[in-house]
Amino acid sequence: MVFSSIPFLYYFLPLVLGVYFLAPKVLKNTVLLVFSLLFYAWGEPRYVLLMVVTILINYGLGLLIERFRGSKLARLFLGLSLVVSLGFLAYFKYADFFIENFNRLTGLSVNLLGIALPIGISFYTFQIVSYIIDVYRGAARAQKNPLTLATYVALFPQLIAGPIVRYVDIERELHHRTHSVGDFALGARRFVIGLSKKVLLANVLGELCKAFLQSNEPSVLFYWLYVIAFMLQIYFDFSGYSDMAIGIGRMLGFRFLENFNYPFIAKSLSDFWRRWHISLGSWFRDYVYFPMGGSRVKPLRLLLNLFTVWFLTGFWHGAEWNFIVWGLYFGLLLTIEKFFIGKRLEKTKIVGHVYVLVLTSFSFAIFAAGSMEQALSLLAGMFGAGDLPLLSPAFIYSVKSYGLILAISAIAATPLPKLLRAKITENKKLAAVWDVVEILLIAVLFLLSTAYLADGAFNPFLYFRF
Amino acid sequence: MNQKTKSIIITILFTVLLAGGAALCLTKPSAIFSESERRELASFPALSADTLLSGEFGTNFETYATERFPFRDFFRSVKAFVSTELFGKRDNNGLFEADGHISKLDAVENPAMTDHAAKRFQFLYDTYLKEANTKVYLSIIPDKNMFLAEKNGYPALNYESFIQAFRDKTPYMQYIDIVPLLDADDYYATDSHWRQEKITDIAETLGAAMGTDVAADYQVNTLDAPFYGVYHGQLAKPFAPDTLSYLSNEALDNASVYYYDTGAPKEGPLYNMEKAYGRDPYEMFLSGSMPLVTIHNPGAKTDKKLIMFRDSYSSSLAPLLSAGYQTVTLVDIRYMQSAFVGQLIDFTDADVLFCYGTTLLNNSLAMR
Repeated sequence: MVFSSIPFLYYFLPLVLGVYFLAPKVLKNTVLLVFSLLFYAWGEPRYVLLMVVTILINYGLGLLIERFRGSKLARLFLGLSLVVSLGFLAYFKYADFFIENFNRLTGLSVNLLGIALPIGISFYTFQIVSYIIDVYRGAARAQKNPLTLATYVALFPQLIAGPIVRYVDIERELHHRTHSVGDFALGARRFVIGLSKKVLLANVLGELCKAFLQSNEPSVLFYWLYVIAFMLQIYFDFSGYSDMAIGIGRMLGFRFLENFNYPFIAKSLSDFWRRWHISLGSWFRDYVYFPMGGSRVKPLRLLLNLFTVWFLTGFWHGAEWNFIVWGLYFGLLLTIEKFFIGKRLEKTKIVGHVYVLVLTSFSFAIFAAGSMEQALSLLAGMFGAGDLPLLSPAFIYSVKSYGLILAISAIAATPLPKLLRAKITENKKLAAVWDVVEILLIAVLFLLSTAYLADGAFNPFLYFRF
Repeated sequence: MNQKTKSIIITILFTVLLAGGAALCLTKPSAIFSESERRELASFPALSADTLLSGEFGTNFETYATERFPFRDFFRSVKAFVSTELFGKRDNNGLFEADGHISKLDAVENPAMTDHAAKRFQFLYDTYLKEANTKVYLSIIPDKNMFLAEKNGYPALNYESFIQAFRDKTPYMQYIDIVPLLDADDYYATDSHWRQEKITDIAETLGAAMGTDVAADYQVNTLDAPFYGVYHGQLAKPFAPDTLSYLSNEALDNASVYYYDTGAPKEGPLYNMEKAYGRDPYEMFLSGSMPLVTIHNPGAKTDKKLIMFRDSYSSSLAPLLSAGYQTVTLVDIRYMQSAFVGQLIDFTDADVLFCYGTTLLNNSLAMR
């Protein structure tokens, strides 16, 4: 089940909120756990067991690590936990990728396993790993109650598409969280904003992407339009989902950390990655990059550290070479920034922004493709390879038909609306008017999103596959 | 407004939207048949251990909840209005308005589909027509998009090259070109089909090319109810309905029509007035989708027989051709296997006309 669907909005969410707020405090986590398992089971009944087994194994290993902390046994249990959790991830997500490449290298034809990817496995595995490592490091206490640990891992707002919430960040809230009308209202507001980003912007941009992919009229500018639309689509899709997750969390008394911070206004790619999928970037920083020595090492080792992290970041996104190349592409550019141009870029006003937008557009061309061949074909199209015309009727139509939504999306991807709101609310009279407008906007956006969903319009969800 | 008051209002508002919506979903789902979209909507899915564990229940429930959402037609209209009038999208779900018509974007050529259609035709020719003493003709009806899309800035198929490519795949048929006789107003404004009262010249051209005079005088009859074509509901925006007319004369009044939808022939009306006031009034012409229909016109100018392989355009065309042919047999290979056609039809000495719209040729998966 996805948040941007009629069953979630009008069946699941009212039910879970109703039962949750009626339940006594002592049962609230249990209510959340039961509904979270139902939420997961809705689309993936057979994989609930996999998630539960992973949780139970790591529950036991977490307790053992804490008990033997400081001894070699703790290290052994940590290793065991990583082998189990990452082993499941490797098997379910990457097995066929490894077999395919093994077959290519050896000329053998080992049968593919054809395993369906369990939804959200990349996200909940990383949450579990962060929990276990934090317990090993002593940054978190092992959770004594398996239901509470299961609630943390399976918590439905962030279960299938993040943000990757760390145990230490919500440990206190798992035990003692408070609820208030203020938090509920902020959560509801954030949820509606996320829903609108997903349904009114990302889905419509997705239609443009689909039209490009189905078109028989390629042109250079149509390729560029596609990549720009895809960049905006994936941003609103994923940041919209994060907004919804953060919003629901807030209604339920949790404060999840932000996952996006206007990435397209970055002036360097380092800055971009501090603003894009923040929870993933910080996860790799804290659990891979720093343990490898971070940047306080010799240059060659630093190169190894950087490329390891970016190889893994790419591979995390999907079991295809184009994702690995995508990760390494950022690894290369970030290395260049780190050693040569990073500081100069941050000082520029325009150049840095253009640099980020152009280079991220190439990255998203690689990302959007289903394979490396398609990625190269997309990049070639952007440069007019194959005597492509500059324009085509399909491009012109797409600009006319989607121009306004592209412009709205481009503006909404910057802090301008937020700054405008801040400016308005500086004036007391305008602030009073704005309060009314904001309340009306929440209702209108929610109902409009409902209208788009009820129409059965195009509703893919890109981050489902990760 | 202080923050506390604002928070209380937002909380109440959000709660009312969720709870009210949920209550309506449970108590007032939309009707199972969508009049505007002319289709049956999803039923509540079967609930069993199997459907639950396979995820099938979840998937089907999502379709059910979406399609049966309360006041869905109203929400669809709101979406259509906002999408096109506010956000400037030039089509809504692939439908656009131009020159007083609703039309459907149809810009992507599917070579696999046209190949499939050509292969089915080749099979029919090789199996039944090659050795029989028949003349085989092909005529292709362009979608009305041909006259609306490109000139109004919408992407469209290159219909000339599409038709030429299909002719090249069927060299054993004699092609009859009717495109120059058509323009947008020969089609209904809210529907994909052509108007029977506007295609008498088409029938005469086809007849002449096949060596048969099908010209006749007709009385134009108009239904006393508005005709909301199939595109009308899909567009989900206000649009004036069409009027639906049908042609009659003494010969047609005396014609007999046999339908073979259940196997044995069953006599029925040429113009089905029950369907004329039903969900899809265009189905009044030869009762809509039928695998096999035969028109016997004792008043025809010749005793020749015509066999038409056809789609729905021919439902309104065939009565006009029957002025020159004593027997007109219509075969729709979407609803009967090509391999069985020979068991029911004798092709000897018949004229055979393959008459298809570009839309079906470009989406021919249903041809069997």
